[in-house]
Parts: sequence; C-alpha cells; structure tokens
Amino acid sequence: MAFATIDTTLPIQPTRASAPTGGAASAATRSKANDEPVATRSLPRLVVGHVLLIVLALFSVFPVYWMFATAFRAPEDALSQNVIPWPLSLENFSYVVDAIPIMGMLANTFGMALVLAVAQLFVALLASYGFAMWDFPGKKVLFLVFVGSWLVPFQVTMIPNYVLVSQMGLLNTIAGVVVPNLCSAFAVMLMRQHMESFPRELLDASQMDGRSSWGTLWLVVVPNLKPALAALGIMLFISAWNEYLWPTLILQNSDALIQVGIRSFLGTEGNNWGAVMAASGLACLPIFLIYIFLQRYVVDAFVRSGLK
Amino acid sequence: MFVPSVAGAPAPADATRPGRPRRKLRLAPYLYLIPAVILLVTWTYKPLVESFWLSFFDWNLIPTSPKSFVGTENYTTVLTLPELHQALLNTGVYILAFLVFSLLLPVAIALLARRVKGRAKTVYQALIFIPFLLTPVATSAIWRWLFAPEGGTIPTIAATFGWDMGNVFRDPALSIWAVIVIVGWQMLGFGVLVISAGLAGINPDYSAAAALDGASTRQITWKIIVPLLSPSLVFMGLMTVLLSAQWTYPIIDIVTQGGPSGSSTNIYYLLYQFGFRNFDAGLAAAAGTLFFVGFGLIALIFVELTERLSFHDN
Repeated sequence: MAFATIDTTLPIQPTRASAPTGGAASAATRSKANDEPVATRSLPRLVVGHVLLIVLALFSVFPVYWMFATAFRAPEDALSQNVIPWPLSLENFSYVVDAIPIMGMLANTFGMALVLAVAQLFVALLASYGFAMWDFPGKKVLFLVFVGSWLVPFQVTMIPNYVLVSQMGLLNTIAGVVVPNLCSAFAVMLMRQHMESFPRELLDASQMDGRSSWGTLWLVVVPNLKPALAALGIMLFISAWNEYLWPTLILQNSDALIQVGIRSFLGTEGNNWGAVMAASGLACLPIFLIYIFLQRYVVDAFVRSGLK
Repeated sequence: MFVPSVAGAPAPADATRPGRPRRKLRLAPYLYLIPAVILLVTWTYKPLVESFWLSFFDWNLIPTSPKSFVGTENYTTVLTLPELHQALLNTGVYILAFLVFSLLLPVAIALLARRVKGRAKTVYQALIFIPFLLTPVATSAIWRWLFAPEGGTIPTIAATFGWDMGNVFRDPALSIWAVIVIVGWQMLGFGVLVISAGLAGINPDYSAAAALDGASTRQITWKIIVPLLSPSLVFMGLMTVLLSAQWTYPIIDIVTQGGPSGSSTNIYYLLYQFGFRNFDAGLAAAAGTLFFVGFGLIALIFVELTERLSFHDN
C-alpha cells in the first residue's frame, strides 16, 4: 500500500538533516535577510521539540520504571511513593519464584516464541520466494488470499479453531498455541517485498551456475537477506511472546506460558503489588534484553514493516 | 528458469522477458507456496466459512451436543441485544480516542519535534517505543497498580488536587477512559515513530523550493508536508481501526472484564464472552460474521483512500 514513503532508516537521516541548509545556501542570489528568520525561528523550535520529546519519553518510561521500582522495594515499602526505591530488596522476586513456577513458564514461553518465529520465518521465506521469483497463473488470486487474511479478525475464527484444536487433542498444550499460528501472512508480505528488490543478476548468475531454485534460495538469497530475516525474526519473536488471547483460550487449565501464569497470579495476589510487579518485570525481561542489545533493529523492523 | 528440470532448454522467449521466467505452467512456485496456503486456509479461511455456517445454528460448543438449525434467529437476536448496542458505541468511542493517540498527537509531535536530530533523537525514539513492546499482562498489571485506589500513583496525585478518584476501573463513567489511557499509552510512541519515519521520507527539496518561492512555514506544513505524509496517515488510520479491538482485548480482559455493567466492553470482547463465557457459539458466530463484513467495508474504504490520496514522492 504505502511502503514507497518509508524506506528510509529511522534514526539517521543525513539527507534531511543537510538538505534544507544546502537548499538555502544554493539560493545565493537571495538576500541574506530571507535566510535569517528561518535560522532564528529554528532555535525555539528545537527547544520545543526537545521539551516535547522529553515529556513524551518520561510519560512512556515512567510506568515501566515504576514497575521495576516497586518490584525492587522491600515488601513493607510497597505503597511508598518515593521515586527511588531504597533500600533495594530482592524479596519480591524470591516470593514470586517460590509462589509460582515462573522460571519454567519463562522457559516454555521462550521455547514457544522461538519455535513460532522460526516456523513463521521459514514458511514466509518459501512463500515469498514463490511470489517474487515467478509469474504463474493464479498469482493474483493467491496474493489476495494472503492480503485478505488480514481482514479476518481473530475473534471471528476463534471458535472453529478452538474446536479444531480440541479435536486434535491439543487443548491445554503449548502445541495447541503454536500450530494455528504457523503461517503469518504479514511475514509473507514483508518478505516478498525484500525478495522483489533482490538483485536479479545474482539470481541469473546462480541459475547459470546450474543451481536449482532450492539451491539458489539457500545459497544465494538467504545469505544476502540475512539482515531482513533477522529483523523479521526478532519481530515475530516479540509478537509471539506478547500473544495473549489465543494462549489464554487454549491453556485454560494450565499455567505453562507466562501470559497465562501471570494472569492467574494477578487474580490470586490482587493487591500484593510488590510481588505482582516483580512477576510482570520478569515477564518482560527477555523482550527488554533483546531491545537493549538490538534496539535499532527492533525499532526499524516494527516501524518500517508498519508500512506495508 | 529456476527449475531446470521443468524449464528445459532456454527458449527465445527468455530474451524478451529478462528477469521473469517464461509463461509456462510450472510446478515450482506452487510448491513453495503450498505450506503457507494450506496453513492459511486451514486456520483462517475454513474457520471463517465455518463461523458463517455456525451462525445459523444453536450450539453450546460441546462436541457431543447437537447443533440445531435456527435460521437467521441468531442475527435478529444479536441485532436487538442492548449489550451489543453498548459495545458498538464503545467501539466507536475507542476508535475515535485511539485516532487521537495514533494520529493526531503523533503528527503534532512529529512536526514540532522534526528539528531534533542525531543522538538525542535516537535516544528519545528508543525510550518512547518501549510501551509498544511491553507484554500486555505486564501493561495491565502496571496500570492497575498506578490506578490502585490505595497507594496508586495517579489517585495519590489526584488527591493532592482535591479529586477523590476512587477505583476508576469500577466506575462506569471512568472505566472506558482508563482503558483508553492504557492502550493510548502503548500506541503513542509507535505512532510518533511511524509518522516521523514518514516525515523523514519526504524529499526536503519540495519544502526548500516552496520556501524560496516565499511560502510561510505554516503553508509549507499544510500544503506540502501533510499531503505528502498522507500514505503514513492513512496507514496509521487503518491500523487503528482494524487493530484497536485487538489491542484493547488483553487490557479489558485483565483490568475491567468489560465492566462495570458493560461500560468498557467492545465488540470483540463481547464476541469472546458470547463464545467462551456464555458458550453460545451460534450467537458469537453471527456477531462475528456481521463485524467481519462491517470492518471489511471500512478497510476497503481505507484502501480506496490510499489509492486516491497517495501523492508519491518521486
């Protein structure tokens, strides 16, 4: 739809940063007076921009900070409004670890999200390769099949899917959470865009070397699309980790995944805020670790894919 | 071209269509597409049809109990349910409110802050994106704590201004706004980043040229930047309409359960309740079919808008 506009990487925009001044400078015939108001106007604007973004950043981060602040307080300080938690204590965390098998849940959820991300990536890689490399009868229809699936709200298909999963005997299993989500139409569309822009000469060269399409895919396409695959993989992992509705439907009698486990912990612990915040903090930990180390990738992946 | 066994010797047609293989029925593309198509059909399209079919039956979701055909009764029931009217109205309120968080505020912030560059910008962006990544259960837990009547930060601050907030999630007048604040908090940073990326993608030469012709900053903003931004705007609008129900679901489920007395529910939460609380599969299916059609139409309008409004920057 609208990807044409958003192909710039987010954090760095050298062209935009330099071009306005370049444009102004090239207008050497214009009097200097014309440039001046722009320059003087831009300083207050810069300050306004910084102030706005600082306020927005505080608004975004404070609740998350507060979660960790509460989690690290000693349990008797739970209701303290002191901005800095002191003395620090790990008691809330040890309480959570004793109360629920949270480490097991984290491991299960990690495994689930990893399997799902890899499977979705694999299915999407094959499908997008099929789309991007050939013209074939029915291509348009199949394309619509993928795009159209976005219009089907999950809540509309959940009852038949629930019935099917229960017929397969997968209720209350992690497999029941994974199997219906193995294909992500969104991942297919995103990969297809990367494939479409793949240099044709490389493919032709590979074909001249006598490789099959399968060999070309793994020896030529995949190595060259590594960054795109990694970004998409991270995104799919995060989405799978944060998935809520389907796991809560399928795992009604099981606390195997973190989303479901924390949800029932919230129910039983009610106002034990220190413990609840510690559990929630642990539930976000893997995502935060990914984000700390791969921040640029994550933001780029989500924002750019945003525009499909 | 990529399947030598099928393609055979290179034909002259190849020369006229560089890049794309000859138009000849070949198996390879279908083989690559089959896994994805089978999965989509099994888990999206077949259930969609089944859901449509179920909407004409009365069934309690228990495999052994019979489905009885009731014709269009589910549809008439659904359309006259007061809960549904409330949920529809709330859905509208949610969507309008979310458009403020996903479009209006992001555009304002992105435009006002577009001069912020370099390292500072990267740091801000990293911070404002955090809420979008947060696990929904954690988001719900955090905001329950922030809004907690006893010791919660927000009621404590409100109290210093003389406002006794009470429990917002149990207040029919406030619960929907509490959910809006929570989901809006998650969407705002994402909106700002998408709109900023859209802005960054606009060729600055246009603005520079207009400035040379004596256009004011305001004119440049409204006559050049905003129209060029329209693809991002339409995209965020579509995302908001189609996904807001999805984004609200976990928050509603954990924080308010749609209550009190339906004041914070929306249609998708209602669908879940029909199906998995009341075990009325037929009713849920009928409501689901109606909403699928409704939202499909809205999406088509947006797609049409994209085609009409897109001024491509090249």
